[in-house]
Amino acid sequence: MPEIFINGKPYQADPDQTVLQVCLANGIYVPYFCWHPHLSVVGNCRICMIEEEGRGVDIGCNMPVKAGMRVLTESEEVHAHRKAILQFITLNHPVDCGICDKAGECTLQDYHYEYNGAPSMSHEPKVTSTKFYDLSDRIVLDNERCILCSRCVRFTREVSKSNGLGIEERADVSLVRPSTDGSFKDDAYSDNVVDICPVGALLSRSFFYKSRVWYLTSTPSVCPGCERGCSIDIWHRKPEWFVQSLDPSENSAIARVTPRENPAVNGPWICNKGRDLARIFERKRALEPMLKGKPATPADALATARELLAAARHPVAVVSSWGSNEELDAFRRAFDAGLTVVAKHDHAPEPGEVVEDDVLIRADKNPNSARVRELFGNAAASIPAEADLVLVWGEGQAFSKIPPGAKVILLGSYLAPENGHADVFLPISIQTERDGHYTNFQGTVSGFSACFPKAPGVADAESLFAALAGSAP
Amino acid sequence: MTGRKILMDFEVTPTSHTLEAYAARGGYQALAKVLREMKPAEVTKEVTAAGIQGRGGASFPAGRKWQVVDPDDGQPHYLLANADEGEPGTFKDRWLLEHVPHKLLESMLIASYALCVRNCFVYIRGEFDLPYRRLAAAVEEAYAAGYFGENILGTGFSCDIYVFRGGGAYVCGEASSLLSSVEGTRGYPRNRPPRLTVKGLYQRPTVVNNVETLSNLAWILKHGAGEYRKVGTEKSPGTRLISISGHVNRPGVYEVECGYPWKKFLDEDCGGILNGRKLKAIIPGGISSQVLPGEVAYGLELSHEALWDVNSSLGSGGMIAIAEGTCMVRLLQVMLRFYHHESCGQCTPCREGMGWAHRVIDRIVAGKGRPEDIDTLIHISKFNDGTTICGLGDAAGYATVDFIKHFRDEFEYFIEHKRSKCDGRLECLPEVAHA
Repeated sequence: MPEIFINGKPYQADPDQTVLQVCLANGIYVPYFCWHPHLSVVGNCRICMIEEEGRGVDIGCNMPVKAGMRVLTESEEVHAHRKAILQFITLNHPVDCGICDKAGECTLQDYHYEYNGAPSMSHEPKVTSTKFYDLSDRIVLDNERCILCSRCVRFTREVSKSNGLGIEERADVSLVRPSTDGSFKDDAYSDNVVDICPVGALLSRSFFYKSRVWYLTSTPSVCPGCERGCSIDIWHRKPEWFVQSLDPSENSAIARVTPRENPAVNGPWICNKGRDLARIFERKRALEPMLKGKPATPADALATARELLAAARHPVAVVSSWGSNEELDAFRRAFDAGLTVVAKHDHAPEPGEVVEDDVLIRADKNPNSARVRELFGNAAASIPAEADLVLVWGEGQAFSKIPPGAKVILLGSYLAPENGHADVFLPISIQTERDGHYTNFQGTVSGFSACFPKAPGVADAESLFAALAGSAP
Repeated sequence: MTGRKILMDFEVTPTSHTLEAYAARGGYQALAKVLREMKPAEVTKEVTAAGIQGRGGASFPAGRKWQVVDPDDGQPHYLLANADEGEPGTFKDRWLLEHVPHKLLESMLIASYALCVRNCFVYIRGEFDLPYRRLAAAVEEAYAAGYFGENILGTGFSCDIYVFRGGGAYVCGEASSLLSSVEGTRGYPRNRPPRLTVKGLYQRPTVVNNVETLSNLAWILKHGAGEYRKVGTEKSPGTRLISISGHVNRPGVYEVECGYPWKKFLDEDCGGILNGRKLKAIIPGGISSQVLPGEVAYGLELSHEALWDVNSSLGSGGMIAIAEGTCMVRLLQVMLRFYHHESCGQCTPCREGMGWAHRVIDRIVAGKGRPEDIDTLIHISKFNDGTTICGLGDAAGYATVDFIKHFRDEFEYFIEHKRSKCDGRLECLPEVAHA
């Protein structure tokens, strides 16, 4: 382990590391735009200048560690260079932070305040370029804001492997452009370029002008889109910024979804499906209990369900693979060996969706199939014909597969025609309204927290199982 | 006469570039000698002993570059001849490719043998037409005569050559972006480390040498490093091809022995300055080398060390003579326009700085200059120097800084009076226009 001296203090370094990595690993911050821990080194932004004593300044991201080397990260020379590089970077940058979605989490903004702070030295008109260029129907590109760090280009070459982006032209009129074969449009990971863009050049259509980021807060969660169970952050409005006079549903809406770095599961990336969780969670909700399609009070509905369960001779339960570990455990406690269990895949791949690839996406589109297999490994493959009562938990159960004449208790969250066909319908909460854990296909358990209060009238599946417990034979 | 000759040692005739003529002048004898009598390490030793410096611009000793490559490390190695001659004012490699392509090929075979190279490449500038056709014909001739391919001259040494035409980017004359271009990617320079002699083409040890550097090798191996050392000065052995253009009466390519007096070269060999004017300034080796005032240049000899002493360099040998009466502000404008246009756009200081400097100088020439513009230009140059990935950003800065250092009064005059101190009539004189 070579020892190097940073600002006079000794640090242990790995011989494969660069000086920038050693600095960051030891909490010594060095600014960087183009460097990214999961992408190759190109060293084109030139802001991570570090002074090696006796050798002058050079970029830290490509400076190999040598035993005994002495580097300075805050010398006068380093500061002068950072300031000059920021002058160059902002030379043709429009500095339109007031209308930029990235404002508030933009590295250029932060570095400007931290390391430059001076007005531009230039009197020349800025180089104009294309704005609102649609890279795909998901991503908008503002070439004026782009600082050509090439992170997005490297992402499509090294991570998503779509080779969907490249750079055209040269000098200060260089442009990031999609490849002519349109592969960026089909890139299932394309939205990650919005996160890794250090400035506001790449913007998400779904978050475009939707909110200032400082109005939002994030809640750690797990993507339910497939059995990978990527760690995510769900962004929603801060309580102190709740809208009063506008549509209050804004206050409990998902503003955007970003990946939360988790080396064990997803690294720093998620796929585009994970960005669109609002499409899953913001469908019309079922909020009222029903008896044979007629609204009922929760107490009546629950009492009827208990009666049906008590009367059944061959009760069958269809378990949801979208239930959390806690709910599945509660289910097992409540109905331990009392009824036949059938495991269900709530969601199947949709037409046009990437079914499986070798990056993140898995074929099983349910977050907790692994835990269902673990708990109910000997579950029946389908509902047995002699069943006279079926307790269906969650979506995806075709009613045509239920034996005719069997009574049906349905626990669901969203409006669906089946709700009215069930003998008893009980509304339950969704993932964004409760805490819990999922076990992914590798056996890694990840937790999620409630982002919003429960919708009025719904109960957690866990408490319903407790209430129904003991009524089964 | 400009001293002893190594490269231009024959009379140019319509057929002097062919293999037949080259062989009649003793061509490919050095190759036969090397392949039959020498070990690869001995060739490298000979080249190192000859002390030949790179002719592409940086003047790095070729032998020291070669020594980094271990011929026996079991990896493939590559040799590239850099014929992407794009430095403004430079046209010496063109002469070599047109008139002695076989000298380059023979030298490349010798270098390939020394460096254990199986496949070597010539990266030739895309705009070159006749040089390309002559080189391609020479390659055909050499293959037909058995100088390339398997088992050359029955010695068991095999080598193939590929001629790669560039796409017309100045930056691809930089060794690492040249490799990127050959690999088929965008011609972006690469960060060092690793050096190209450690990880170059296809991540393998690679030597990139200028056409002129390589062309000297046949002579060196034929006559020995000792003989080569006798030509030129102690620190600059050999000769330099100087391609002189601008305000001289006889522009063209000259082979000049290092140490030859500069004044004599300009006044006698090049026929003096156009229209009998005074020499105002001279760019010694392509516009990336620092400009020198005429009186400084007159006192110097043409050698690397003499130019290093005055903070300039012989660079690529593309000399541009500038006569009294030329507007240096507008000359710098032309140069900055070039650098702006040719910046590859990869790293920030050059991408943004060149455009900025170009817009500033355009504004000065348009009569809208401000007194602080001179400092702005120096600021841009200062932070381009040493902060960019390749040397082109540095070079653009040198030009600006030295123009302002030597001719600051012209810049100040232009800004204050909104017109040139030199009225610019020189460019309009009929004898110049039709020269």
